[in-house]
Amino acid sequence: MRALTDVETQTLFSKLANYTGRSLTQLIAPSDSTGGDDDRHVFRLHESRVYYVRLSIANLATSIARDNLLSLGTCIGKFTKTGKFRLHITALDVIAPHARYKLWIKPNGEMPFLYGGNVVKAHVGRWSEDCPEHSGVVILAMDDTPLGFGVTARSTAEARKLEPTSVVAFRQADVGEYLREEDTLFTT
Amino acid sequence: MAPKPPSGGKGSKSTARARKSATAGPSSSSRSKVSKRPPSKQVKTKPGVHSQTQKGAGTAKASKRKQRTYTEEELKLPTLNMITPVGVQKPRGKKKGKVFVDDKESMMTILALVNAEKEGQIESKMIKARQLEEIREARRKEMEKKKEKKQAELEEVKKDLKKGKKRRDAPQEKPADGDRQNGDGRKNGKPKKRVSFA
Repeated sequence: MRALTDVETQTLFSKLANYTGRSLTQLIAPSDSTGGDDDRHVFRLHESRVYYVRLSIANLATSIARDNLLSLGTCIGKFTKTGKFRLHITALDVIAPHARYKLWIKPNGEMPFLYGGNVVKAHVGRWSEDCPEHSGVVILAMDDTPLGFGVTARSTAEARKLEPTSVVAFRQADVGEYLREEDTLFTT
Repeated sequence: MAPKPPSGGKGSKSTARARKSATAGPSSSSRSKVSKRPPSKQVKTKPGVHSQTQKGAGTAKASKRKQRTYTEEELKLPTLNMITPVGVQKPRGKKKGKVFVDDKESMMTILALVNAEKEGQIESKMIKARQLEEIREARRKEMEKKKEKKQAELEEVKKDLKKGKKRRDAPQEKPADGDRQNGDGRKNGKPKKRVSFA
């Protein structure tokens, strides 16, 4: 387990910034933090996975042998062998509060999405205005429960003219993965 | 160079003694030294021995001179055109291995950079999308106008046709009637050569 290098940090942040706005700074320096240095959260790399963890816990984890340490804090995603970063569904809780663009889906569209389908226009309850195409979007249920994240297929203006069966957002991760990928989600 | 005996190694001892005595003077000690000298004289030709002889006088000067040492950069020597493998070159004074980013400030700096870059990208995307939308809108309006124009023309032609039919029908009816009426007209000797379309 180690801290990230500057290149890794940049890759991670640029990935996170796809989905979040300027409030991403809250992750590093929360405005409501009253405690000292131990209270802040840091990113730690362990076996190509990046964890978002409180510094005091990260310091405690140094006493555990590398082979024995399975996980700590919240897993954000993993670095691929080519050096890119892949977000996991476990990062949803971190990015959802700071989402830049949001897309709410109707109750009849929740199950198709949670089974791994893309979001079709007929299932969209509402969406953020002025959203360009191919930008990261957090997908929520109508009661504001985050269900996953993806990438918009069309801009909001274009999507209005589409027919109901056409895809408006490509799924990247959904909470259904906790069941579908149960065996592999937390293994290396 | 130090003075050398003119005859070199071949010179006989007697001649050397005679010369030395002539130049060095009458002291017995000098004589004794002179008697030992010939081998040293031969050695004197060697540069090492020569410096030894001077050492006594110039040690302080030599040490002073030795202090000034030139580095390779000062000498401005031309560098050799060598290939230094990447792995061999090691920057001195730098930390080995990875440089970690763990403090809040540097993380914030990286984040600010990334955010600015992302915002720029999104902004340019939005501008592009808006421009495309404008172009599309303009094209759609043009097409609509063309369609309307065509439709209007078609309607006019239709109207014309309808009117024209009536007009043509009206005069055609008469001769038709006339023909019918004058069905026997040809027989009467009125040759009518008429061709009518529609």
